[in-house]
Amino acid sequence: MVDCRKGSDALYFNFSGEIDESCAHKVRSYMDDMLERFPTKKVVMNMKDLKFMDSTGIGLLLGRYKKIISKNSVAYILNPSSGIDRLLNLSGIYQLMPKVEK
Amino acid sequence: MKNFMLLRVPAESKSEAFIRNTVASFSIELNPTIDQLEDIKMAVSEAVTNCVVHAYKDRIQGEIEVFAEIINSEIHIRITDFGCGINNITEALSPYFTTDNTTERAGIGFTVMRSFMDDLSVKNNEYGGVTVLMRKNLIKED
Repeated sequence: MVDCRKGSDALYFNFSGEIDESCAHKVRSYMDDMLERFPTKKVVMNMKDLKFMDSTGIGLLLGRYKKIISKNSVAYILNPSSGIDRLLNLSGIYQLMPKVEK
Repeated sequence: MKNFMLLRVPAESKSEAFIRNTVASFSIELNPTIDQLEDIKMAVSEAVTNCVVHAYKDRIQGEIEVFAEIINSEIHIRITDFGCGINNITEALSPYFTTDNTTERAGIGFTVMRSFMDDLSVKNNEYGGVTVLMRKNLIKED
């Protein structure tokens, strides 16, 4: 699902496994909790280990994006798989959270 | 080549992974590429999410029926619920439309189904609920 790590440059959310409706509620409240607890200028959504996500995940990211920009922070998406990348492209979310690769 | 499968499961979010992985496994005999398998899982997950989130919001428990059929090099998938139906299908199919106003829904489920499959049709059933039909040709793309 997701865990969180505070790096020197950003707050990292490391996603893993599968994200759909069955875990969206849990992931949402965990992320909101971490965003409250660790104020940051930059948030990175690391999708390297995420195997599957559908548009429930897009809704989840959009909801978090609104909280992140309300605190004048920015967010990026890191290393999505090719299937998830096609979904992210289609959703237009890269205009809000640009993709970075490393 | 011809083959089919039929599933009937509770309309619960935990059914989503089971249904998308089962339909994806069923399509294996057509030798899909990894990307094509991802497309099928994604489209099925979107259709099932609609059944789970929207179809039975006025009821305690509902069911989802999934029928998939292989006809030559194509997979045809039919996902049916027996719930409240869709008021305005044209509106529901338009990108970013959602009946949920919490900003936690992207409203792109049907857009994903349409772009990840070759063909999509959505209709209200005569005796309640919605049927989504999708088709994808799994001939290797060069």
